[in-house]
Amino acid sequence: MAQVTDQSTYNRRKFIAGALGLTALGTFATLRYRGRMSARAAQAPTDESSIVESVPSAENYALTSSNGGRLTTKYAATHYNNAYEFGWNKSDPSERSGNFNMRPWSVTIDGLCHRPGTFDVDDLMGMPFNQLEERVYDFRCVEAWSMVIPYNGRPLRDILAAVEPMGSAHYVAFTSVLRPSEMPGQASPFSSLEWPYVEALTIEEATHPLSFATFGVYGDRQLPQNGMPFRVTLPWKYGFKSAKFIVRITLLEEQPPATWNLTNPREYGWYSNVYPDIDHPRWSQATERRIWGDGEISRIATRPYNGYGDEVAHLYPGINHQYR
Amino acid sequence: MIRLLVHIASATPALLLVAGWYFKRLGVDPEKTLIWESGIWAFNLLLLVLLIPVVARWANWPKLRRYRRAIGLWSFGYASAHLALFLAFLLGWDLVRLGEELKERPYVLFGFGAWMLLSAMAITSNRFAIKLLRKKWGTLHKFVYLAVALAGIHYVLMIRSDYAWPATYAAIAGILIIARWIRGKKQKTVRTN
Repeated sequence: MAQVTDQSTYNRRKFIAGALGLTALGTFATLRYRGRMSARAAQAPTDESSIVESVPSAENYALTSSNGGRLTTKYAATHYNNAYEFGWNKSDPSERSGNFNMRPWSVTIDGLCHRPGTFDVDDLMGMPFNQLEERVYDFRCVEAWSMVIPYNGRPLRDILAAVEPMGSAHYVAFTSVLRPSEMPGQASPFSSLEWPYVEALTIEEATHPLSFATFGVYGDRQLPQNGMPFRVTLPWKYGFKSAKFIVRITLLEEQPPATWNLTNPREYGWYSNVYPDIDHPRWSQATERRIWGDGEISRIATRPYNGYGDEVAHLYPGINHQYR
Repeated sequence: MIRLLVHIASATPALLLVAGWYFKRLGVDPEKTLIWESGIWAFNLLLLVLLIPVVARWANWPKLRRYRRAIGLWSFGYASAHLALFLAFLLGWDLVRLGEELKERPYVLFGFGAWMLLSAMAITSNRFAIKLLRKKWGTLHKFVYLAVALAGIHYVLMIRSDYAWPATYAAIAGILIIARWIRGKKQKTVRTN
């Protein structure tokens, strides 16, 4: 009897030793793998200059940025992204977007307008890609980090004007692409978001000169991780308001739903303007960590409307807390 | 010998993180990487502390319990680094803001609570304290189960959308807490009988 007990005890101990060994091996392998991944990250070129012949904006919006012309490195801005369609890790959008087909890409514009239609993304640009306007915007994520990024595109209002919105069109709704086979995050059973991603603006916001129809960043249009081939950029709002991978724009009379607002209305308002006094319930929005790339980060105070208050504050009369 | 291995294994993640920081291998946001990884390793080691008595009993290997204190202290070390990095990188050592954050943000409150409990156990982890506190020592150190529960809630509260990892951690912590609770009940019944 005693012998049997000893044998089973011995087996159990052997099992534990084996399990510990496997765990150690697994941990080591994971760390090594991560080390390799980030080693690759560090070696990548840090391209700061734009390839595009930039057309300076008449209103010179770049000046509203508080950084003296400095940009976040292209590597940081294209390898640290939130695009939950590809996964919830910041590195997922760059690493897991290899199967994403960016061409052909057509966008349907419909709803309350006189000339609805479906347009190829190249036609939406209205000019060759390298002649698009370049704008340097401060990009502020709701997670309290920010970057300074050069965007290539044209004012969204130029595109909207082409379809001639009706007087009754009070809202503009954006629908992102639904392709679970090409976007692993959409196929994940653990995501709390409903797909496709939807976002919306008032018509006044959408036709504001700062609202930017975007076809590339850093003069590069082959960047699904940044929401290409077609997204909008709204620099006075938290990043998630700026819909990516847009395939449909609909003009509506009633306020349309927005994905994060639907998922958790207490935490993500429908307007979601950047405002340091209005905290996310779980974390403060008073400061942000500006990511420059190459490991450099500075902690700065967040400004009302992300520093674009002079341009957009008039859109929100009364108490700005109503527009959270 | 085993003790030395325990220390080397527990120190390895910290050494890799320090080296990663020094050689700029921690990704685009190295501050966030450090904060997350230090928290994760505090949690990993805390779960290991809870797992030790279960395994020791199952394998009839009481010697394993000897390493519990060392691993617990390492967990406290990672948790302290986690808190310090949070204070440095997210609050810029603004302790007034720490007060506000504790009041307003449940995730900070839960995390800080877990750290306070670990501190109390770390301070009383020496022989002198064991002698001084006697029976109360055991009661105090049962708070490790509360600490792991607080840490689990702290983790879940940080997530925006994908709950797979924190759910896994919370489930493991939950199983260990319930297992301890059932055993505690059994022991009581045995004693009263």
